[in-house]
Amino acid sequence: MTAYLANLATLAAIFGILAATLNVAVGYAGIFSVAHAVFFGLGAYAGAQLALLVVPDALLAMVVAALVAGGLSLCLALPALRVRGEYFVAASLGLQMMATTLFTEAKGLTGGMGGLVGIPRPMILGVEVPTLALALTALVLILLATWLMARGSFGRTLRAIRDAESAAEALGKNINAAKALAVAFACAGAGVAGALFALHMSFVNVESFTLDQSVLIMAMVIVGGTGTLWGPLLGAVLLLSLPAGLSFLPFIPPTEIGAVQQILYGAAMTLLMIFRPAGLLGDMRTGRKA
Amino acid sequence: MLFLQLLLGGLQTGALYALTACGFALIFGATKVFHFAHGASFTLAGYLFLLLWNNGHPAWLGVLAAIAVATGFGVAMERFVYRPIQRHEGGFFTVFVAAFGVSLVVQNLVGMWAGRGFVVADSSLSRATEVLPEVFLAPVFWVSLAVAAVLFLALGIFLTRHPAGVALRALSQNSDLIRAYGLSSHRLSLLAFALGSALAAPAAVLTAITTGMNEAVGHHVMLISMAATIVGGVGSLKGAALAGLSLGVAESVVLNFADPQWAEAASFVVLFGFILFRPSGLFGHAVAR
Repeated sequence: MTAYLANLATLAAIFGILAATLNVAVGYAGIFSVAHAVFFGLGAYAGAQLALLVVPDALLAMVVAALVAGGLSLCLALPALRVRGEYFVAASLGLQMMATTLFTEAKGLTGGMGGLVGIPRPMILGVEVPTLALALTALVLILLATWLMARGSFGRTLRAIRDAESAAEALGKNINAAKALAVAFACAGAGVAGALFALHMSFVNVESFTLDQSVLIMAMVIVGGTGTLWGPLLGAVLLLSLPAGLSFLPFIPPTEIGAVQQILYGAAMTLLMIFRPAGLLGDMRTGRKA
Repeated sequence: MLFLQLLLGGLQTGALYALTACGFALIFGATKVFHFAHGASFTLAGYLFLLLWNNGHPAWLGVLAAIAVATGFGVAMERFVYRPIQRHEGGFFTVFVAAFGVSLVVQNLVGMWAGRGFVVADSSLSRATEVLPEVFLAPVFWVSLAVAAVLFLALGIFLTRHPAGVALRALSQNSDLIRAYGLSSHRLSLLAFALGSALAAPAAVLTAITTGMNEAVGHHVMLISMAATIVGGVGSLKGAALAGLSLGVAESVVLNFADPQWAEAASFVVLFGFILFRPSGLFGHAVAR
């Protein structure tokens, strides 16, 4: 039972990181990416390959994952600088679909559908550490960074861009740099989550990095509340405990749990958007233009 | 001869993509709603047709029911989801997320109710005969092309000749002016949703006859319609239809050179390229975004 709960807590922390970093792009910068799982995947593959081929050092894996994901975030930053709104959502959807195919086909790097197996347990300086502790530390650090950023001038710049791009530009803000930086931070964070995920599961394959996963992460942010500090974390915990909770209900056949779960969070997304667009923890006044 | 076979197959798929893409573009152009649940209209129409057909009902009943359910779904989405969101000035992302939620619900309900995996309506229309050496064609090929051509012709006449069609085009250009002339933009939005969703139904029925449906097909159709609308140029129905046709052909012809798993990715490479280098699409006006 403790092992079960520890596993659930680790996953909650990992998805908390994913939701919190996506929130930086969606909630603060107004960049509505539906491709977060791509960078989660990049981080996971980078971390896994490093642990398999070089050394299973957790810190190194996370740094490399963050660098790979942050570097390739340019793929997402370029359309974000060119277009807004529906066009950007379409571009990120396109990126997600291309990446899914690449992850499946680049078998040398990703193992394809079979995935990468036997990823060694994480070490720090030669001592094995539990992934729960690692994930919680990373989550706290990322929440702290988000909080500091949101309070500081960079956070204000991002919010200004989100609410009135031309006005922010007229005030002399470097919009392109701010957007690219926000995207890089969000994607690097997703990369860290990916490395943790790979080390925790000791197995990764493409099924964890599909459009469905991106939508799940997006739903976490939306349900919890975009642009808030704790909202995405609440969303992650709620949506992750959903399948666990559902499996205790006797009248749902086990084969249908996935479908019931998707129906529930689909319905939750729609109803929230109609009645409470700012999310559970969101501020009704600022949420209207999200 | 494989190339010719693939090309003909692509034309058929492309004609059906063109219909759904045109429906999506009509809705997006007139109401500015990114109707991401458009694929759900397609799924519902296809599955209702399959249900009626496999229970021995005549085809015309199935087709009418499919059109009715697609139209009804589109109108209900506008009335009960998009209108309330727009009333409190929700941004486009609010609309997108709500529509995505609905399409997830529809996909999984259909999957639970009708089972997962492919179902095909067995019909004599899909029996292929050899027309040229090593080239096989089924009657459904000609039916698809004819249906698409007739519907596009009818839609073109409606949009240019009928007062309601002219008003729809006016709505897509300037919705404030529409109200100044005393026309109800709400009623016109409902019309756009009804027409656009109805266009998905024939495509769904023909898909159900040829390749069959699975519960996730709406997803793919939606992504293709969206890609075609953007590549064709937002606001241009002709562009969306043409782009839908080319995406269908490209998806099929690419099989001549590459493995099938690259087919879908190829469409999205095209979409990504267009968004980066020519966001206004083939026939669109420059977008101020």
